[in-house]
Amino acid sequence: MSIIIDENVQVIVQGITGRNASLHTKFMLDYGTKVVGGVTPGKGGEKIHDLPVYDTVAECLKEHPAAAVSSVWVPPRFAKDAILEAIDAGIKTVVVITERIPVHDMLFVRKRAKEKDALVIGGNTPGLISPGKSLVGMLPKIAFSGGRVGTVARSGAITYYLANSLNLAGMGESTSVGLGGDPILGANFEDVLRLFEEDPETDAVVMAGEIGGVYEELAAPYIKTIKKPVVAFIAGKAAPKGKRLGHAGAIIEGNMGTAESKVEALKENGAIIAETLSEIPELVKEALCGKQQ
Amino acid sequence: MRLYEYEGKQLFKRYNIPTPNSVVVGDFSELDKVVYPVVLKGQVFIGRRGKAGAIQFANSKKEAETKIKELLGRVIHGYEVTKVLVEEKVEIDREFYLSATIDRTKHKPLLIVSSEGGMEIEEIAKKPDAIIKHYLEIGERVEPYLGRSIARKMEFKGDAMLKVGNIIVALYNLFLDYDCKLVEINPLVLTADGKIIALDSKVDLDEDAMYRHKELMQMGIEARHEIGELTKREKIAKKAGIPYVDLDGDIGVFPGGAGFGIASIDLIKHFGGNPANFMDSGGAPTQERLRLMIGLLMDNPKVKVIFGARFGGISRCDDWAKAVVQYVLENRPQKPMIMRMAGNMEEEGRKIFEEAIKEHSELFKNIKVYKFDTPIEEVIKEAIKESI
Repeated sequence: MSIIIDENVQVIVQGITGRNASLHTKFMLDYGTKVVGGVTPGKGGEKIHDLPVYDTVAECLKEHPAAAVSSVWVPPRFAKDAILEAIDAGIKTVVVITERIPVHDMLFVRKRAKEKDALVIGGNTPGLISPGKSLVGMLPKIAFSGGRVGTVARSGAITYYLANSLNLAGMGESTSVGLGGDPILGANFEDVLRLFEEDPETDAVVMAGEIGGVYEELAAPYIKTIKKPVVAFIAGKAAPKGKRLGHAGAIIEGNMGTAESKVEALKENGAIIAETLSEIPELVKEALCGKQQ
Repeated sequence: MRLYEYEGKQLFKRYNIPTPNSVVVGDFSELDKVVYPVVLKGQVFIGRRGKAGAIQFANSKKEAETKIKELLGRVIHGYEVTKVLVEEKVEIDREFYLSATIDRTKHKPLLIVSSEGGMEIEEIAKKPDAIIKHYLEIGERVEPYLGRSIARKMEFKGDAMLKVGNIIVALYNLFLDYDCKLVEINPLVLTADGKIIALDSKVDLDEDAMYRHKELMQMGIEARHEIGELTKREKIAKKAGIPYVDLDGDIGVFPGGAGFGIASIDLIKHFGGNPANFMDSGGAPTQERLRLMIGLLMDNPKVKVIFGARFGGISRCDDWAKAVVQYVLENRPQKPMIMRMAGNMEEEGRKIFEEAIKEHSELFKNIKVYKFDTPIEEVIKEAIKESI
């Protein structure tokens, strides 16, 4: 097993006619992801990589009723609309690649997602991958190989380096999830940690956070109760205050969102802290050995 | 993105939130438009401005001129005073606190009020009884009755209660209408002659929502850091749409996506080096933008070496390689570039480098591009060595 996506899950792409969405739809198909169709309002009837394009998500689902995941690639000003369209049409997992979605828009999206019991991942997520089974988003397949470590990170590149270093150390991933770099996210660390805890094919979890917001701190109490080892890494120890570092969410606001506060909260609740990315594989190995003894 | 006090008060005026009569000083002729005595407030993004010397008083135009001249250009806790807000002095009877913000834990907007204003909210919050919190549903507005009932809880009565109720409604409308992360009035004052006035303003906008508030730009509100102005290089970067922050060191960082950019600054410091900047060079930049990024780093006189990394996800290795090669051919840089490239379209990218090196070996002698099997830490350590 894996979490959220597996070899059978059917995927649609909102904004499929855009340059990036179209390119990565091709990569997803090449990887074996069951992409069944796309949506771009006003371009219904076209074809992209032989996939049908629809005007609305509802029409797309009418033709492909088994589609369970939508990936959203539209520009930020259309993101709220696209995510709500997916949720209202009945999609239960929405993977939002779009970055820099206005904060108030995401608050509204979160509210609707909760009401309709939908999982929204992102904004500004690179997507997620269950190696060898399915890839939704824009992660480079070369970074990942199948295994029993679950990873969850806010940043795309960190997700890739993380998996890459696990692989070089002879391990692999059950699923790697990118939470996204925006300040208000759909799914947070705790949501994904719960899924990994329940997944029989995940033995340990690596979580990589960064400065800004409180999602790492919010996950800390749950880590105390989790049975599987959690190795945690926080980026931004050397970050200046009051300046956004690329990700809209990566900013120390007043005293909120510092690396120290996150590391402390995680450490106190039993997470194994990695000082640098390269320590992670060794820490995961040690944790797994410790568990077996 | 924090607004200056005077900008926040311009928004307050649009919402009929009373503020003192004032002028923002660029030229001294404006000083005839206010009644003395006045308060001179240097516009800087710090708390406790009085203690830091950013706030002065003047009883006459002449005194105001002298003191404004002293204030302008002064650097207070790292922020230069470029504007002074001149406000008519009000006689304060009592101070209160009002704000609308987002609770990042509950993902809900909330109003915070207190009948003990004037101090930083962190100070007020030390006495939990002194604070009243009211959560709102997303999409909900503050109805007038709610404004009044909160004003009552702050122990306002009669006319003052009605006025404060209206201000609470207006404050929340401003918060929603302008996509704010925070609107704070601290202090809101009751004057000796019974007026209610917003004496200070703190407005924090969502930069990502600025596209739907074009009128703010017409008000002269420009892109800036969350707190503080951009440096010259940061302004160039901003214009080109490149997320970039100046730091103090000598290693130019060309890292790929933002998350890895943040981690690479940590790593460089961890191994004893000094990053010259933060940069987000991910998000599928065009080749032109990639060349601009390299140029931005190369042109920084402090930079001795560039550390680069590309883990191609949405940003492809071949695009990256083409941009680096073209930059080198056009600009013949002397500074070394120590880089690593892996991910989507890696092989295509590698071929581009190999061909360029074959044809122009002299130009590329200081440029190294490692593969995915070299740990990033090794690449960083080598860059640090070049910076010493």
